[in-house]
Amino acid sequence: MRFPRTLRASFSNTFAADGVAQGLAKPAARRFPAFDLARVAGGLVVVVLLLLASLAPSLAQSSVRPPAGAVTLAPPGPEMQGGALGNRSDAEVWHDVRKGAAGRVSIPDPNAPTLIQSQGQDWRVFHNEVVKVWGGRIFAGVVVAIVAFFLIRGRIRIKGGRSGRVMPRFSLTERVVHWFMAVLFVLLGVSGLILFLGKDILLPVVGPSVFSLLASASLQGHNLFGPLFVVAIVALFVTFVRGNGFRWVDVVWALKGGGLLGGHASSHRYNFGEKSWFWLASIAGVALSISGILLLFPDHLPGMVAQTTPDAPPARAMMQLANLVHGIAAVGFIAVGLGHIYIGTLGMEGALEGMTRGTVDENWAKEHHDLWYEAHLAESSTDSVGAEVAAAAGKV
Amino acid sequence: MTFLQLVEGPLWYLAVVVFVVGVVWHLVGLVRLGRSVDRSAARSSGTAGALKAIALHSVPHGGNLGRTVYHFVTGYAFHIGLFVLVLFAAPHVKFIHDRILGVGWTAMPRWGFLLAAEAAFAGLILMWVRRLTDPVMRRLSDADDHFGVWLIFLVMLTGCLALQEAHDGLRALHMLFVDILLIYFPFGRLMHAFTFVFSRAYTGATYGRRGVTP
Amino acid sequence: MTTATTIGPSTVNVQAAIDRFQAVIGSHIASYLEACIHCGQCSQACHFHEATQDPKYTPTLKLVPMTRVYRRHKAPLAGVKKLFGLVPPELTADDLIEWKELIFDSCTMCGRCTEVCPMGIDIASIVGLSRQAMTAAGVGPSDLWEAAENSRTRGSPLGLTPQLLEDRLEWLADDNEVEIPLDREKADVLITVSSIEMMKYPDSIVAMAKVLNAAGVDWTISSKGYEATNFGVLSGKPDIAKIMVERLTTAAEAVGAKTLVIPECGHAYGAMRWSGANILGRPLTFEVVHITEMVAKLIRDGKLKLKPTAESMTYHDPCQISRRGGATQAARDILGAFAKDFREMSPTANHNWCCGGGGGVQAMGSAAELRHKVFQVKIDQVEATGAEHLVSSCANCRLTMDESRQALGWTREIKSLVEVLADQLEA
Ligand code: SF4
Ligand code: SF4
Repeated sequence: MRFPRTLRASFSNTFAADGVAQGLAKPAARRFPAFDLARVAGGLVVVVLLLLASLAPSLAQSSVRPPAGAVTLAPPGPEMQGGALGNRSDAEVWHDVRKGAAGRVSIPDPNAPTLIQSQGQDWRVFHNEVVKVWGGRIFAGVVVAIVAFFLIRGRIRIKGGRSGRVMPRFSLTERVVHWFMAVLFVLLGVSGLILFLGKDILLPVVGPSVFSLLASASLQGHNLFGPLFVVAIVALFVTFVRGNGFRWVDVVWALKGGGLLGGHASSHRYNFGEKSWFWLASIAGVALSISGILLLFPDHLPGMVAQTTPDAPPARAMMQLANLVHGIAAVGFIAVGLGHIYIGTLGMEGALEGMTRGTVDENWAKEHHDLWYEAHLAESSTDSVGAEVAAAAGKV
Repeated sequence: MTFLQLVEGPLWYLAVVVFVVGVVWHLVGLVRLGRSVDRSAARSSGTAGALKAIALHSVPHGGNLGRTVYHFVTGYAFHIGLFVLVLFAAPHVKFIHDRILGVGWTAMPRWGFLLAAEAAFAGLILMWVRRLTDPVMRRLSDADDHFGVWLIFLVMLTGCLALQEAHDGLRALHMLFVDILLIYFPFGRLMHAFTFVFSRAYTGATYGRRGVTP
Repeated sequence: MTTATTIGPSTVNVQAAIDRFQAVIGSHIASYLEACIHCGQCSQACHFHEATQDPKYTPTLKLVPMTRVYRRHKAPLAGVKKLFGLVPPELTADDLIEWKELIFDSCTMCGRCTEVCPMGIDIASIVGLSRQAMTAAGVGPSDLWEAAENSRTRGSPLGLTPQLLEDRLEWLADDNEVEIPLDREKADVLITVSSIEMMKYPDSIVAMAKVLNAAGVDWTISSKGYEATNFGVLSGKPDIAKIMVERLTTAAEAVGAKTLVIPECGHAYGAMRWSGANILGRPLTFEVVHITEMVAKLIRDGKLKLKPTAESMTYHDPCQISRRGGATQAARDILGAFAKDFREMSPTANHNWCCGGGGGVQAMGSAAELRHKVFQVKIDQVEATGAEHLVSSCANCRLTMDESRQALGWTREIKSLVEVLADQLEA
């Protein structure tokens, strides 16, 4: 029941000349579909980034004004004198203030009397000197490692080439959920990284006006897509948890280095690496979700987190904690995610199509997931369209 | 002239003209293709059938709903979200008041904006990822399908990125994509926003005359 | 592909197809071609897709050749798009040859896809018009064309000439001791026949005669115009379509008929009831009804006395009678008058699954295998009702189902509604 090649080609021909991006339709039918998706998704990201980057300098001359609804603070008053009777020195006063001592104010805001929340200083130091610094190092390390791995190992080819037989691997639901998450990952990742490291890395390069534009955009984008991420991570967990429990073969797989060091490492539907990624993504995802919600709606979730120290009001302590958790979880998620993206696309022949068409080559399955392959031998076929349909229907 | 002045000034006017003239030209052209009268003896009213079809095809009906549920949920999330954003987002209300109609209405509160935006983005992304993965939709999709989705996505994205309303650059970027969208609109499948009425109505009329609700 | 061996690109007149495509695109067709958003929902409605699960049978793909011609030559703003190189390439002979399977073999013009389509696109009618273009180019199933040519030259797709008609009617009348009036000078009702009935299921002609006689209808069959099926419509040959309509019209007007009755044949009903006047170019001077509508009216008017039966029955709605014909209720009125255990299929009535052989697909040898595959959908539907008898009111459905059930080894018999009814007549 396969369409003759020419027919498929002419379907795509029909459409190709139809839109502006002429080349886009062709790969869908004619070329290897993996590139279709890579191009489409990649192109989207590149378009946004290029536009932002290229427009930014010219935009920067245009005006920047305070955000809508911003409150202009009253100019600072006369210098504060120590004590009503002037019986304490400035030094003593400032010393106490720095220690977090509360003064007296006439407004009802419970946070207002504390001029300096000293725990904030601890947060700032930890955030700036540990989380950010190590986060940056880890990202750099991962990128270097990936490039090095690529240079040394090259693209991992399918041993023995393609067999011409394919097996259904991921259902339509799994793929939809995966790509929904992937789109959010890119949007949140890019905007999040600009907010997280932009001040240190981008600001010196692009200058303050452009950076403020990027930061403003990233802030809004990040806040907007955040809630969808919560939905996506729940869906991701529910959809992929089956088959992701650790087993003894996974220990063996890990000990053999996944076969990268030579020799064959057995695995079921998911190998040790994939399972670890699943659990890391799930845990980090939950951490990101909860901390993200707390950061998004600090005023609307009072009392959610117990007061951590006597001198820090709950909302603020909660925000500080959430911020650190958010940063650490994001570093883990993105760092490993980069590896996942590499191995799923450029790094390994035959992997991406499992997530696009839903099918993988039999030889690929044999090589990377031998136990799964053996259990699903019966579904292997030369009818690629049939296999694609079976995969979509969930026969995986 | 700053970039913002360009995209809110000349380019905006050009885009509006192309959009309005293009859409009208397109629709008038469509109608002018003409249709010979149906000489068969009608069993019941074609007009009623047309109206019924326009309403009925807005919701799943008649069984075989396996695929329909997905499109129904994501499609409505996207379209409703989008229309709410277009009409009720505060900056839009102001823009409509100042630049288009001269009258305005109450903008929706921020939480409304967020809800609408979440729905619109979720719907659009979900429709698009299905296009990339479903065997049937993969087979059908062409460049126009993807281009339309991207354009509307970029319009929505840049709009939301400019939400702080603190940077003219972001506003300009949003306007740039709006202009591109308007110019492209009459030429591509985005025209379905208008042609759906025609197509449903013609079918509804044909079937209505036969005494069938399609 | 099967056709590629018989029709070479060199013998294809592509320009004829392009011209024909352009000629048939009116504003309604253009709206359909424009409105499709490539959502793929129609796939789930088409029995060819559901039986094979092959995405190539997604109904909207059948619009592609016409859409291409439309976008290139006829669409508003096509000129502007051409400037930017944004119109699709010209159709080629290979395109037409490759679309032959989609336009002919795998579309019964059943109209199910229109129901689920959010845009309400009438794909069936576009397929019908596309057949005209393909046929003009010389691409299509030769057996279907032959059936159409037979209609032109011999009066009927199965070679039922006026002489043969007379012989067979005489034989049927004698054998069954029933009066079958042929060529009466005047009659209120002109009865037409489907040659499938005449050649393969003659019992249903007898049954029809018995019912009409029992009700005292003033009727006749005419050798001037007797063939109800219109293979001109199905094969994309408008000239033959017109000849067939003209013959029936001439006959009806000659006998002064107030009513022309279409026998148990779905497409014949659509062709005459809904397309007849349009093909002819003027309104008809008589009413066109399906035999089930006629009988239902006779029952309503108390002209038929029926014995009830307790045997369980289910009814297969012929697409062109119900979903695309609007005569859905008639069969139910008839069955309701005598079948005490009538069971609806699910889905049923206007939503019913097609038998797989409508739209002339039944007459295409190249489509046989696919058609049998599709019939499994119907088998499952019927089995689910648990009814003893499967009844329908289309001889083409019946023939399709009979062939497919033999191919698939399904033992249930398919009956004609009129035959079943005739058995229930009070003597
Ligand atoms: S009319 Fe019927 S057979 Fe033809 S494409 Fe539509 S559902 Fe399929
Ligand atoms: S359901 Fe209608 S709009 Fe959707 S692909 Fe089919 S024909 Fe096009």
